[in-house]
This record gives sequence, C-alpha cells and structure tokens, in this order.
Amino acid sequence: MAKKPTKRYAMVLDSRKCIDCKACIVACKAENDVPLGVFRNRINVEKAGDYPKLRMSFDPEQCHHCENPSCVRVCPTGASYQREDGIVLVKYDDCIGCKYCIIACPYDARYHNPETHTVGKCTFCSHRVDRGELPACVETCPSKVRVFGDLNDPKSELHQLLASRRHQVMNPQTGNGPQLYYLL
Amino acid sequence: MREPVWEYLIVNYLFLGGLSAGLFFVSALATWLQEEGRPAYPHIARWGALLAPWPVSLGSFLLIFDLGKPFRFWKLFITFRWQSPMSIGSWLLVIFTLLTMAYLWAWLDPEERTRLLNYLPAKVRQRIPAKAVKWLEHDLSFWRRELAMAGFPLAVSVGIYTGVLLGAVQARPFWNTNLVAQMFLFSALSTGTATLILVRLFDKKRPVALAEMRFLYTLDICLILIEFFIVLPYLIHGKLSVLAVQDALAQVLGGPFTFTFWLLFLGCGLLVPLLIELNEFKPVLLGRGQLHISARWATTAAGLVILGGYVLRYVFVFAGQASGFR
Repeated sequence: MAKKPTKRYAMVLDSRKCIDCKACIVACKAENDVPLGVFRNRINVEKAGDYPKLRMSFDPEQCHHCENPSCVRVCPTGASYQREDGIVLVKYDDCIGCKYCIIACPYDARYHNPETHTVGKCTFCSHRVDRGELPACVETCPSKVRVFGDLNDPKSELHQLLASRRHQVMNPQTGNGPQLYYLL
Repeated sequence: MREPVWEYLIVNYLFLGGLSAGLFFVSALATWLQEEGRPAYPHIARWGALLAPWPVSLGSFLLIFDLGKPFRFWKLFITFRWQSPMSIGSWLLVIFTLLTMAYLWAWLDPEERTRLLNYLPAKVRQRIPAKAVKWLEHDLSFWRRELAMAGFPLAVSVGIYTGVLLGAVQARPFWNTNLVAQMFLFSALSTGTATLILVRLFDKKRPVALAEMRFLYTLDICLILIEFFIVLPYLIHGKLSVLAVQDALAQVLGGPFTFTFWLLFLGCGLLVPLLIELNEFKPVLLGRGQLHISARWATTAAGLVILGGYVLRYVFVFAGQASGFR
C-alpha cells in the first residue's frame, strides 16, 4: 500500500490586512480556555516615525510550529513533542513545569500556565484541525489575515499563496525553521 | 524586557551544584596527589569529602522545588533524552551525588561510622543484623583514591553541565557560546577551593599547614587566571559578533547588569582575590622565602571568590533570559 503523503500544517499571514482588532486573541482564549494573564497568540505593534510621517504595523504572532523546534529538543521528559503533521504540542500529563522550553523558544511563544503549573502554547487548535475545521484564530479573523493549510497539498490556498507571493519568516537565523509565513 | 521564568532558586542551584563539584574536585585532587603512598593533603581531602554531598543535595532539592509540578520530578528518571541538557544533567546529578556520598563514607573513620549508628533510636539499631554492623568497621581508606579517580570526570561534568544547561539554548544569545560552560566550570572549581581555604582556616583542631595553604592558593590562582582567560574573550568575541549577541552583551557593557558584572564579579569576585592571593604568594614566586598565611586576608579572598561565583550565576541567569533575537 502506498504511504499516504503526510500533511505539513503551516500558516500564512498577510500582516497588511491586520487592523489590530484582537479578535484572534479573544477567539483563542475562548476556544482553548487560556487563563487570565497569559496568551497563546499576540499582535506585535510597531510604531515608527515622527508626525506627520508616521508608520504603524501589526504582526500577529504565535507558536511558529518550527521544523526543528528547540523547545522539543530541550524538554527533559519528552512532554513537548512534534506531530507528524508538524504541529508542536505539550503532553500536559508529562510536563513537570521546568520551564526550559519557555527559555529555549526564540519566539517567546510559550507560557507557564498559572492554574495547572504546566507549560501552555498554541496548538494550531489541533482538536479542531483533526475534525477538519480551521483554527479558531483563522476562522474568526474579520479581515482575513490568516490562511491555514497543508504545505504538501498543492491545491491548498496556502500552497498557492506561497507559490505566487513573496514572503518571509521571522528570524530565520534562529535555525528553528519557523512555519508562520508573512506575506510581503 | 522579557520576564524571567528562572529566578533565584535556579541561581542558587547552579551555584550549589558547582560548589559541590569544586569541593569534590579539590578533595579528589588532594587524595590523588600522594606523598609516600598516602594522600598528600589528607585534611583538605577529608574536609572536601565531608562537605561535597550537601550543597548539591540542597541544590537538587531547590531545583525540584522550582518545578511547576514538583511531585512529577520522577518523570525525569523514567526517560533519558540525550539532546536535552536537563535530562543529561538530572541523571548526572544523581550519579554524582551518590558518588560523593560513597566518597564521604570512605573518608569516615570506623569509630565515626559507629558513632553515627548510635544516633539511630535503639529500637531501630537492634534490628540491624550484626553482620551489617561489622561491615561498618571495614577500613575503606583504600577506596578513597579509587572513588576520587572515578569522581573526577563526574565532578567536571557537573561543573560543565551547569553552564551547558544555559549555553545549549540557541534562543538566548547571551548564553549561546561554549565559553559559558567553561566559565561555570572553572568558577565552580574556584568556589570549591575557596570554601576549603575558609574551612581549613577555621579548623582549630588541626591548624592549617603551610604546604596545604600553598596547594590551595596555587590552585585558586590558576583557576582565577583561567577565568580571566575565558571571560575577557567572551566579552571581546561577543562585541565582535552578530547584532543579537552584541545586544545581549550590552546588558553587561552599559546596561542593567553592568555594575554587578564589572564591580561585583570581575572586580570583587576575581581581581581583588587574585591580587590578595598573589600578594600572599609573592615570597614564593620571587624565591624569597615562604608563603604568608594571614588569616584575615585569606578569609577575605576566599569570601570574595565565593561571592563572585554567586554573582556570576546571578548575572548569567537573569541577563541571559532577557536576551533574545529581538
């Protein structure tokens, strides 16, 4: 039997469409029961220039679900792991809360959950993805900044965007191989 | 600036783990060096053996206490992940601690072991089979050297590991160089030496001999010099490195940790003790007589070395976490 080609989930973000409404953050919190004070995603706001020459940019960010996740490498118990489809997750029952992965993540995507005392992070809403749905942040985004999909599926919108538009990843010099693609 | 997730418990642990490694290393060295078939510096060796297990045990306890889920610490010992410095380190700590305990046991006299037994309540003591009690009286002095030899690589590994734990994190440019591991190792050995200087000075029962002091001073001077040879290239190399590393180093070269790093670590923790020890050593160096032993100066130097070792860990733990790629 021929092996089914594996999926590789990733996300494309068109930052120029972002209006900093923070609906993605709220949707994530509601979907994943994220405790007060910590977040799985954020919008980086950059302001530059002097009046009247001003510029402002919004870059949504969350776990980059890296190709070589340093958080997974340093985890001493194997609680942090990467699924075959690329999604990086934490087995909460195996997490001892040593916080090494929080330190090892160059994108500051992880947090210490003050309620469970384990480490939390964006899951790409794997529970929804496994049902064939989109991550909550993608579904809710009113200005359609986010496109979620399978890199290995040539018919996916994500694949086509990456084939036709110039894009970049954040801080490729970390060597982690981040999988959030920002359109230019 | 990022909020640190590792704080003083980790600073203390890194210091205590290193201190044990240093104590054991110096003690093992004093055992290994022989004079007429006997350890050359038996008092140093014995004190090192008596002290070595405790800082690392306390440190490991702090480490467990720092976990979000302390009662899950056993999960560390049902897995081994060679890519995770913490996994390697936790196994290393256990093996090293057990070895220091065995080494301590070998350095106790049979009477002392029997005396320890008498601390147990009578009820418990009566249940121990006579054979086991007899076993306490075995002369283990032969094992001292064997255990010292076996422990050298372990002590060095523990000293290095405390630095590798930080250095192996490529996300934190302040840490991400092999020099951190070397720095932590030699600082650990130096704090161990300094502690033994203090202990020998305050040991009124067996006053410190000139030869012992000379041994400890020689060791400490070498170690401090090596530390300079590591920390200065660390700063220079960092300054000549990519932007992320330059930004990280700016924290000690004109940032929040500048005062602590330069004054408390480089100045009080390295330079001043080095000068004091060199000054005490001067007559030997110039071939004009014997080493001075001024208890006051020696205590000052040793105390400052220990302070410097602690400050080094403090600066690295906090400055490292604040560094990043943006």
